[in-house]
Amino acid sequence: MALLPPLYQEALIFSSLLTLLSAGLTLTYLTTRVPNFAHGSFATIGAYVSLTSFRVLQLTPYYLIPLAFVLAGAVALALYKLVLKPLMNRGSSIIFLMIATIAYDMILLSALNIYADYLSEGLKVTSRYFSLKVADIRIGGPTGTPMVFYGSLLSAVAVIVLLYILLTKTRFGVAMRATIENPMLAGVVGINTDLVYTVSWFMAGGLAGLAGVLISLWFIGNPDLGSIILISIFAASIVGGFNNIYGAFLGGYLVGFAEVFGQYLLARNIGAWIVPYRPVIPLIIMVATLLIAPYGLAGVRWRELGRRFRRR
Amino acid sequence: MVLPPELTLFLTSIVAWTALYLIVSLSLNLEFGFTGIPNFGKALTVMGGAYVAGYLPGRIIVQLTGIGGGKDYIAYNAEIVREVNLFLSQNLGYSVMIFAATILLAAGVGAGLGFIAAYPAIRLREEYLAMSLLAMAEVGKVIGYNYKELVGGTLGVQVPDPLASIEQGLLRFTLMSLIIMGFAVAILLYLQRLVKSPLGRSLRAVRDSELAAETLGKDVVRIKMKVLVLSSVLGAVGGALHAFYTGGVIAISYDRVVWTFWPWVMVLMGGMANNIGTALGVLIFVVVRQLIIFYKDTLAPFIPFDVVWLDYLLLGGVLIAILMLRPEGVLPEKPTYPLSKKIIREIRERVRARISSETLEE
Repeated sequence: MALLPPLYQEALIFSSLLTLLSAGLTLTYLTTRVPNFAHGSFATIGAYVSLTSFRVLQLTPYYLIPLAFVLAGAVALALYKLVLKPLMNRGSSIIFLMIATIAYDMILLSALNIYADYLSEGLKVTSRYFSLKVADIRIGGPTGTPMVFYGSLLSAVAVIVLLYILLTKTRFGVAMRATIENPMLAGVVGINTDLVYTVSWFMAGGLAGLAGVLISLWFIGNPDLGSIILISIFAASIVGGFNNIYGAFLGGYLVGFAEVFGQYLLARNIGAWIVPYRPVIPLIIMVATLLIAPYGLAGVRWRELGRRFRRR
Repeated sequence: MVLPPELTLFLTSIVAWTALYLIVSLSLNLEFGFTGIPNFGKALTVMGGAYVAGYLPGRIIVQLTGIGGGKDYIAYNAEIVREVNLFLSQNLGYSVMIFAATILLAAGVGAGLGFIAAYPAIRLREEYLAMSLLAMAEVGKVIGYNYKELVGGTLGVQVPDPLASIEQGLLRFTLMSLIIMGFAVAILLYLQRLVKSPLGRSLRAVRDSELAAETLGKDVVRIKMKVLVLSSVLGAVGGALHAFYTGGVIAISYDRVVWTFWPWVMVLMGGMANNIGTALGVLIFVVVRQLIIFYKDTLAPFIPFDVVWLDYLLLGGVLIAILMLRPEGVLPEKPTYPLSKKIIREIRERVRARISSETLEE
């Protein structure tokens, strides 16, 4: 027996994974102040680790999550260390930094496509539009709830709890917050800001890699998986507030639920033809947020807003 | 002088693609190079122009002549367009009219899209603007890909050929390339005049310091809006010409790599805020790419994957290298003078003469 109807499962899985991705994006934005257009492709790396583990090594993808984490983390770190940091040292403008992340995304995209070609030509494995739903473990018999449901929820909750502990209870977390608030001052008091950036980028990439493994167990995988989901990730981070790491969790669930339920309700009430227009939903959310509350939900001063309403 | 047909085709495609990308890159240079607006959704306006070319000219001819007998334009597209082309091949006047009308309408749609893009552009910071415009372009692609009535969805549509009266084949492609090049050169000359005009200096002032420009009485909002509308018009004209050149429109080909990222590479490679530099960047880019395509079959046995990915890999690497080593491009931005060099020289000499005569009197 499945625990929840498939629609709710889908919504929770998608939102939890979106949360992991947007948390990483927000983290890198908080530290380096550049929106990373290559973030989606870090998740695609995880999806291909998962495909390789199941079809080539005949292993349940869950075993290779650490590898996906480290691999995607290293790729993210390389973007920071080899591309962004030298450019920032040169004093490049934010536009240059953004276009550099797009260029890096191009390199990743071609590397992923070359790997996909290698898988299909060399090893005769379906590497485009692949589904790994069969690779997942079902809990409670063959029709039970798939493991990815628990896995994604659990990782989203674990990440938010661990982040909270890291940022408030550890010395390094306090150093991180100081660096985010004011990198110059943090440097003056002896905080190794470069280490903070390094850890942030590695964590962001790692979380995306983890999300990628889980994505591949539920959704269709393809080399452009990450570039398609990128708009949802941006929307989640913006709606939550690009300046608040916890906002990413709020935004992830909001955008995820809006996409899954919005698509379902629109399809039921208007017609099935509307289903492919799903990417319009995050765009509308993103634009609406930017125009109404540009700093996202976490940036709204709720108390002041409430007071203003009460006065009327 | 007769060239072998293979070589002619190669040169023709270089001319056509250089011209098409020249139009798009120059418009991006106007936005980004001169005004500092990071348009990461350049594909949107190109797409808009191409959609107009895919949607309108065929339907107009069908309405005017009753070709196809009321059949569905999308479902019987190949058949109807063949008949439309047959009709156009006997009516040169209609061909010219339909070509001009499509370009004008594409320009109108481009202006509308530019106006929409200007709405966030005058309100948001660079990074938010870049994300919104990128998302808008992606959504435009999704709509074109799924809304069949527009440009045939996944299958695409054929575009009537305004050069149908000319013998099909090499001659047609050569002529089309030259027409597009005509547009591109006209746009280049126009933009060269524009950036040397007072408006051009205002653009750079806005780019370098919005605050300073505003303090000096420049209406930053209006300037940004003007630039976005103008450059979107140019982008849409480029898109319509691209549709006429290839003879078809399919939404999926207007993605962010081909019509946003590549123009960015060209502008940065050639030199931002320098139209001649951008033109040089376009030429280098197009020639290298056409060479890769031309020698694709020769290269294929040596690499175990699709050559396209080698292309992407190279471009990503080249762009990062440019940003790190020579961000000003091949031809860096030059200061422009409000007066011609001759007049400046005359003034200088007059002032010098006066100074020397004054010192003599003392």
